[in-house]
Amino acid sequence: MASTEWFQADRYRAKEGLGVWEHKGKAAIAGLGNSPTTRRWDGDLSTSLGAWTMLAAQRALDDAGITKDEIDGVISCPQGMGDEWGAERGYFPAPYDSEDGLSGVSAHWLVKNMGLENVKTTYHAPGCMSTALVAGAEVVGSGEAKTILVVRGTGNMPGRYHQTPGDTVGGPQQWTNPWGWQLIPQIAFGFDQYCRKYGSNHDRMAPFILNQRRNGSMFPEGFYYQNRPDDLNLTVDDYLASRWICKPMNMNDCDLPIQTAGAFLITTGERARQMKKKPVYILNHVQQRGVVRSSVETLAETEEFSTSIANKCFEGSGLTAAEVDVFNPYDGFTLFTQSFLEGFGWHGVKHGEAHDFYGDDIRVEGSHPFSSSGGNNGNGRTRWWGFYDSVQQLRGEAGDRQVQVKAETAIAGAFTPQVSDWLVLGTSPD
Amino acid sequence: MKVLISFDVDGCLENGDPPGPITLDMVRKAQAKGAIIGSCSDRAPSAQRTLWDRAGIVYDFVTPKYGLPEIMEKFPADKYIHTGDRNLDEQFAKAAGFDFYWENEGAEEPWLQYLDE
Repeated sequence: MASTEWFQADRYRAKEGLGVWEHKGKAAIAGLGNSPTTRRWDGDLSTSLGAWTMLAAQRALDDAGITKDEIDGVISCPQGMGDEWGAERGYFPAPYDSEDGLSGVSAHWLVKNMGLENVKTTYHAPGCMSTALVAGAEVVGSGEAKTILVVRGTGNMPGRYHQTPGDTVGGPQQWTNPWGWQLIPQIAFGFDQYCRKYGSNHDRMAPFILNQRRNGSMFPEGFYYQNRPDDLNLTVDDYLASRWICKPMNMNDCDLPIQTAGAFLITTGERARQMKKKPVYILNHVQQRGVVRSSVETLAETEEFSTSIANKCFEGSGLTAAEVDVFNPYDGFTLFTQSFLEGFGWHGVKHGEAHDFYGDDIRVEGSHPFSSSGGNNGNGRTRWWGFYDSVQQLRGEAGDRQVQVKAETAIAGAFTPQVSDWLVLGTSPD
Repeated sequence: MKVLISFDVDGCLENGDPPGPITLDMVRKAQAKGAIIGSCSDRAPSAQRTLWDRAGIVYDFVTPKYGLPEIMEKFPADKYIHTGDRNLDEQFAKAAGFDFYWENEGAEEPWLQYLDE
């Protein structure tokens, strides 16, 4: 197995009006695994993305109580989130003789180096673990494979993150990059528009940020828990004094790039019931790829995208907003998270009400345990903590983070309102 | 000569993440020779205070990276030094009128030449 194809675009559930997912409840998440975390890779091959992806995969197998012989499929988001190691630094002996295994991990790299001899199906999914997870849901739900690993390594190399040294640019970015219009200013602009429309301000984000850190302090797999627990004691003054990145976005609105790897084991509902842990059934999967009408995404478009995500999640799963117990939308830039909260109408939150909601009791012990994972703000950038926490919550295995409200259904997703992928989960397949 | 030394944390001080080459003993030594010492980092001020407290060092200031001008205003000195491991440290230091040393240069304790005067 020398290469892997991209998962077919027409198999993502990206449109409204598709009805209940035909494979609802046929697939389940039965295993979770995460490697340790660190801020940056130090060049030690034992902590490379490849090594840590294998470790995460093995942990997911152990969590499910099965051996690698049972794995017949692997889906990977093959690119890391960080920069390439680069040939100029020099590669290593095989299997670390290219970028594969260092700055990203392909499905075929994992199959070969983990000795997954019974794998017959592999796919790649671009951009996020979330995309790989929705592909995994479809692969198992449709019967194409029975028991699969879905993996991703983040990757964060020594040195500065995502510098853009080139002085030329082509394609659509020629219209935006020369004046600095990229994702960060777009998100900051969107938040500013939100505050102007609904009469709010950036200071009112503080309760949400502090609660994310608090939830992170109860997430042993997370980066801050393992490496920088002091950063979890963030105060309101700390948050308000944080350096502006692109006003009104400050440093503590941004998730921290880290080095780690994660794995989810998805199998059939029937097989999951025979495995070690309580099955968490996949009730629907959703993709959002919004089309922005110009080079600037307007607040109206952001709200339209979030509403569409929610509509698709509800329609395909048969759930209503009131039936969603655990809600873990992405928070990598915290300034768009309110869009998900309001788009889904979780706990009755309507447009413009998110900041009031943040000021209420959103602790995991409370009646509105929003983002019980602590998200990527509370655990470092992976974009999969929300899925991980949702499974743990539905299993009743979230430890100190376990919500005190009913935990029978969950929704998690990443990345932005415009571009994201989502799973609807439940303790029952129906 | 009154010298103020500002230390970045991560990648600079030994108790940073990642650990840097400047040891806490170097900090203690500078302080014992009369330097005003503190940290200037993107780590939250509360986290900076905790790091100093855990090290048993009575710091004079902690500040976000953009806070060096305010530190200069608050603490009169003859020499202002910031040491860090990122271009951003250099940018903020120079903009505030601080001398800047990279973390590996800081590990050579260049401030001693002024403190010994």
